[in-house]
Amino acid sequence: MPLIPGIGHTAVLVGLGLTVYAVTAFVLAARSADPRLAASGRRAVIGSFGAAAVGCAAMMISLLTHDFSVLYVAENNASTTPAFISAISLWAALEGSILFWTLLATGWAALVLHRHRDRHRALMTWVGATLATVNAFFFAVMVWPGNPFTLTSPVTAEGSGPNALLQNHPFMALHPPLLYLGYTGLAVPFAFGVAALITKRLDEEWLRIVRRWTLIPWIFLTLGITAGAWWSYEVLGWGGYWAWDPVENAALLPWLTATAFIHSSMVAERRGGLRIWSSALVIATFVLTLVGTFLTRSGVVASVHSFTQSSIGPWFLTAILIALAGALTLLVWRLPELIGGGRPSGTVSRESAFLLNNVLFLGLTFAVLFGTLLPLLVAATSGDTISVGAPWFNTVTVPMFIALLFLMGVGPALPWGTAGWVTVRERFTIPLLAAVLVTAAALAVGLRSWGPLGTLGLAVFVAGIMVDEVVRGARARARSRDEDPATAVWRLTTRNRRRYGGYTVHVGVLVMAVAVAISSGLAIDRTVTVSPGETATIGAYEITHRRLVVEPLEFDAQVIETRAELTYSGPQSGELGTALRDYPNSPTAIATPAVRTSLGEDLYVTLLASDPATGAVTLHLFVNPFVVWIWIGGAIVGIGSAFAIWPERHARRVEVEQRQAMGAASAEGA
Amino acid sequence: MRHLRWLLVPILVVPLGWLLFTGFGRDPREVASPLIGQPAPEWTLSTLDGDLLSTDDLAGRPYVVNFWASWCIPACVDEHPVLAAAHDRHGDAMTMVGVLYQDTTADAEAFLARYGDAGYPHLVDPDGRLAIDFGVTGPPETFFVDADGIIRDKQFGPLTDALMDERLASIGFDR
Repeated sequence: MPLIPGIGHTAVLVGLGLTVYAVTAFVLAARSADPRLAASGRRAVIGSFGAAAVGCAAMMISLLTHDFSVLYVAENNASTTPAFISAISLWAALEGSILFWTLLATGWAALVLHRHRDRHRALMTWVGATLATVNAFFFAVMVWPGNPFTLTSPVTAEGSGPNALLQNHPFMALHPPLLYLGYTGLAVPFAFGVAALITKRLDEEWLRIVRRWTLIPWIFLTLGITAGAWWSYEVLGWGGYWAWDPVENAALLPWLTATAFIHSSMVAERRGGLRIWSSALVIATFVLTLVGTFLTRSGVVASVHSFTQSSIGPWFLTAILIALAGALTLLVWRLPELIGGGRPSGTVSRESAFLLNNVLFLGLTFAVLFGTLLPLLVAATSGDTISVGAPWFNTVTVPMFIALLFLMGVGPALPWGTAGWVTVRERFTIPLLAAVLVTAAALAVGLRSWGPLGTLGLAVFVAGIMVDEVVRGARARARSRDEDPATAVWRLTTRNRRRYGGYTVHVGVLVMAVAVAISSGLAIDRTVTVSPGETATIGAYEITHRRLVVEPLEFDAQVIETRAELTYSGPQSGELGTALRDYPNSPTAIATPAVRTSLGEDLYVTLLASDPATGAVTLHLFVNPFVVWIWIGGAIVGIGSAFAIWPERHARRVEVEQRQAMGAASAEGA
Repeated sequence: MRHLRWLLVPILVVPLGWLLFTGFGRDPREVASPLIGQPAPEWTLSTLDGDLLSTDDLAGRPYVVNFWASWCIPACVDEHPVLAAAHDRHGDAMTMVGVLYQDTTADAEAFLARYGDAGYPHLVDPDGRLAIDFGVTGPPETFFVDADGIIRDKQFGPLTDALMDERLASIGFDR
């Protein structure tokens, strides 16, 4: 066996051994309460992270050196592949992505166990056992059905080259790792859920730890989904960013349940209720990440993301069923002890808003799951092939998303317990007026489409409630402590990061919602065929076709690019080239759309067809308003959630003081 | 009554397991070809050896048309011995025909030199006309045509021995 793949394969075997050992050590530690056993399990988990890192490094070296003795390299690389593409090919296909996945999963496990090494001993033992079991599964997949270091025999002289779609945009370097970080990280709350059910510790402390460990992967998942939409928009050339593709849905499903958990856990923490519910949500979230992986990796549903069919499907299915059955059994077992504990609350209160929020998130989860699995169900029962398209998903989900948007403003403004009519009137009057004013202004400016108008009005209402609250709080602070307004706002928000970080996330979501409503409601597109010298118009733009060029790519001569060179004028002006690229290993040409982005709108041009004899081209032209705000909204969500989980200075100081006090106490004792 | 809650576990697990399980063994990208049951396209093309071959030469015999390419690794490499074996077994009762799909003759010859040439003809389809007529989306794709010139079955993706037997049964070769 060649050296580098040999090292890689050995690392995988070592990783499997270490994780299996860790499971055993943690389970024994739970029975014997010997701290050395748990410590040794923890070290084995950290070691398995090292093993996965060595495996990834070996694969990376094999890709960068174009070592075609490794089947994965032969299938996903060619000797002409640029280094950057070779490197990101680590997650371009099935086996490599499992290897990379395992690196992240073991990384999360090592981080969590290290961070809580001295606390919550009973709980952490089972967290460790659960995480090590999950990771052992991934190592086992790489030892048996999905070995990334399978060798070719005889060794091919030239590989078949990377996936054409992967080559076409640097965003592929970003979107899968973010998603994977989210997916793998969501095993952590699941492990805490399992551990809490076993040890019967579903208390407020548990909720606080799990909330944090859910929020961090949630941020990555959110950014990953947004980056995926962006990639789809910039690369696939159909002018849109979300197609309700099964694999997009697979990423959305755990996101929906994780978001539901983040909200329900607040009620559980403050008011005691919803505890079974919260633990059911972390279990559902993890199972849905596995289902998502299964859908992507087994080729069960058709999608641009499907990798080739492979034998790992049955392994994943078994894992899904074991995880689901095991966690459900635990939940049912503890059910009698978890019921109760909530304090009663009024109909109009923050609790009910949270409850309704969870009902809606769960409704969305069921709707998306149903739409995604329906083709499978129909095929299984009647043998017919059907597909559930975007219109169905839009019809079903949009009302629920709008209701969530409404709740987003109303919920945080309502007090815990019971809200009186006076509170409601006092808090909602100004925002309601602002919403009416802005909607009327938009109507006056010429916005005549109901969807965008309604969403805009709702968003202003929700934003108004939040701004109103911040202003009130800051004003009170400024008056009582004699601070200037900016300081007052800063201190107010940093003293309650969770609340105001959450508001910032909500602002990001509002921005996205308005951008989605406007871009999908007001986009225009047309298809034109133009000869060189001719001009086509779309919206306020004039597009002139200059010439058609067919030439090999500068950085990869195997790829032939057919490019229309155009000039455009209007709200933006300049030159652009939009192309179709023929990759030797792709049966269809890959579109390379040209996107000219401004804050108001994008000009988006794809080449559909061309006639080399006359130089005439058929173009699909789009003017997509406000699309850039979707990405900006996504960034705001990321910033807001990072703000929310940032350790509060107050908390850090307390921790330091406690440590010093303990140090002093032990010094006195000695 | 207290134990009824345990029913929750199988109620959730069994249907999900069953549903996902049915997904195996089906290729979702497989598009049922509208050509099945229709007469196969007519063609006259030159082979890699330089001879002309046409549908008229095959009249009265079932034949198998396999679209492949030297760059289609590993699928075409994997199915190559399957095609050769079928040709060896049934070559006297039917004709196996390879068609180059977006490939150069030099690369195709190198592929055959390397992985073995079973001796059946390979058509050169320079402008991809035949692939378009058959509605090929990507190699390997294989069509099974009966003695009357009607397309009876189609394989999307690489053939295995078992699949080959199953498809050949559609044009009258018992397993």
